[in-house]
Parts: sequence; C-alpha cells; structure tokens
Amino acid sequence: MAHSDRYAMLLSSLPYHGPLFGAKQTPLSRIRLNQRLALLDPVEAECLHHARRLLEWAQQEPDRTDAQAVVRAKQVIDGITNPFIRDLVTWRLELRTLIAALRRRHRGESAPRDRRWGFGRWVSRIMQHWNEPAFGLEHAFPWLPEAERLLARGATVDLERLLLGAVWNYLERRSDGHYLDFEAVVIYVLRWDMIARWTTYDGEEAARRFDELVEQAMAGVEKSLHPPAAAPRSERT
Amino acid sequence: MNEFVTALGWAGLFAPMALGAIGSTIGCAVAGQAAIGAMVDTDSGYGRYIGVSVMPSSQVIYGIVIMFSLQRDVTPETAPALFGIGLLSGFALLFSAMRQGQACASAIHASKTKPEIFGLSLAPAAIVEGFAVFAFVFALVLAGGIPG
Repeated sequence: MAHSDRYAMLLSSLPYHGPLFGAKQTPLSRIRLNQRLALLDPVEAECLHHARRLLEWAQQEPDRTDAQAVVRAKQVIDGITNPFIRDLVTWRLELRTLIAALRRRHRGESAPRDRRWGFGRWVSRIMQHWNEPAFGLEHAFPWLPEAERLLARGATVDLERLLLGAVWNYLERRSDGHYLDFEAVVIYVLRWDMIARWTTYDGEEAARRFDELVEQAMAGVEKSLHPPAAAPRSERT
Repeated sequence: MNEFVTALGWAGLFAPMALGAIGSTIGCAVAGQAAIGAMVDTDSGYGRYIGVSVMPSSQVIYGIVIMFSLQRDVTPETAPALFGIGLLSGFALLFSAMRQGQACASAIHASKTKPEIFGLSLAPAAIVEGFAVFAFVFALVLAGGIPG
C-alpha cells in the first residue's frame, strides 16, 4: 500500500475538531485519542510523544533556566527522526522565543548578551534588532506587531488568542497535501492539544487561583512582619 | 526474437486484468480502512461507507473484459498490438483504482462529519471512474482492429 495512505483508518476514526475558538470541549477524550493513536507505527508514535512533551506547558520543569531548556529542546529535537515533526516543533519553539523576547523587552530588559536565552534561527537577529518594533521581523511574522501592542496593553487573553490563532493557521498551511498519512495525524494531534488547552481555560478559576496566591504571599509577608508571640506556659504542658 | 515478441504479447494480454486487480486491491484497501475508521467514530451509515469503499473494484472488471476482448492467437503479428493496448490500458486501470481509493477515503472521511455532503463528496471518485471508463471503452474499440 502506498505510504501516504497508511493511516486512512486512524484518521477516519478521529472526529472532526472544528474551529479552535468555537470549541467547547475536545472532539474526543484523551483516553480515546490515546487508544486510537495505538495504531501508529512505534517509531512514529515515539516521535510524536517526544514532540508533544516538548510543546506542552504542563510538561515543562519550571525550575529550569532558559539555557537548560534550550539545551534540552535541542536534545529532544535531535532525537526526533521525522523531519515534518522536527520542523513543526522548531517553528513552535521559535515562536516562543519571539514571545519571550517581547516579554523581556516589555519588562524593560536590555538585549541578552548570551545566545542561550532562546531557540532557533531568529535568536541572533532578535539580539541585533532588539530596539526595533517587532525586531524587524514583521514580514516573517505579520502578527508580531499586534502581539506587541496587546502585550503593552496587558491584554493577555487577546494575546493568547492571537498566538493560538497564529499556530492554528500555521498548522493549516502545513496540512496542505497531507490527507491520510502520518503528517495528517500529527497535525490533528497538535490541534487536539491546542483545543484541550483553550477549552480548559477558565476565567473564574484563574481569578480564584490568583486570589489564593495573593493570600498566600500576603500571609508570608504578615508573618515576617509580626512573628507570633511566645505561647503561654500552661499551653505547652 | 519472435519468441520474445510473443512473450510480450502474452504479457499485454494479461496486463489489464493483473494491473486492474492490483489497482482495485490498493484502492479498496485504502477506502475500506477509511470506512472502518468511520464506523468506529459513528453510530450509523455503516452500509454507506462500505458501499463507497468498494467503488475501486470496477477496474478489475474492466480489466477482465479488456483481457477477453484481446484474447486471440498470440503471434509475432498480433503481439505488439496486444502488448501496447493491454499494458497501457492496464496502467490506466491501476492508477485510476489507486487514486479512486484515495478519493473514496476522503469522501468517507468528509461525509462522516457532514452527512449532507455525501453525494457531492463522491463527485471526484466518479470523475476518476469516468477516466477508467475511457481507457476501457477505447481499449475495446482498438482491440476490434487487431487481426486474428
């Protein structure tokens, strides 16, 4: 059978996901998705697994420095044998590098001196054009000036929407010519991950969690300002 | 030399049937897999998916008919014509069946999500079928002109 038709059954068993921002839930559960992905060739499944681990925020180690994260990403990407997945992952990490640079600049930081703060082909260019709007990359990334404006305004939800939209459109472009093959499966799964992420965002839950963190932080401050008095002797016994 | 030409004639005689069978096998397998996948994801319309998935089987039937229309004494005089018509019509059937299988798989995939486009989604597969019919009909017409 032709190589490009290998996953006709797998792809037909996956429900249509629809547009990203209209989704209320993922088109199928994580358990069912994993069951269907069991049809993948083991080597290709391994590649996809590594790529997803590298891209999912929940899988990242928060204590790792930027340099460590970049080294780790390079190791993982070198281990991915499928060139299509390697390209997709590289593009996503380059996008994150751009956003990281925007955030750094927004915080008033100067251009990094060490190349190990970011990933991909734009790192040097960003450093060289640190003070230019959109780092002079608005032709390659037309959404970058808008992202900069949203970041300056503090419109984080709109920024997230913009970035997810950019990734979604990129995946759309890359899916051209892939209908029943492994690449089509990869695109589907990455989009599933995006829908899973978008649909789990909850404004109320985020506000509650924020209040909780503020309370914790303030409790720590109050404790350090007013240390508890020594307990009465009778209570010790 | 004559033996070699005669052997080519025999190859041309059987080519439409063999290549058509290979194409139908591949096409039906691709479309069939898509049908099975669609059945996993849906609760109804199974017969429709299976029905579409067997569309590429027509090429092997065309191949059989062409083979019988070419059937005659294979001699150095008839062998070149048998080889040319048989082999080329066989390849036409082979590729049309393979591509029709992909078109059917896409039709199944699309109509699973949007049942209302079922008929329209079959148009590409039907057009591919039309090209296979062209190859079939004109092979028959030309076979009538071969002596013997």
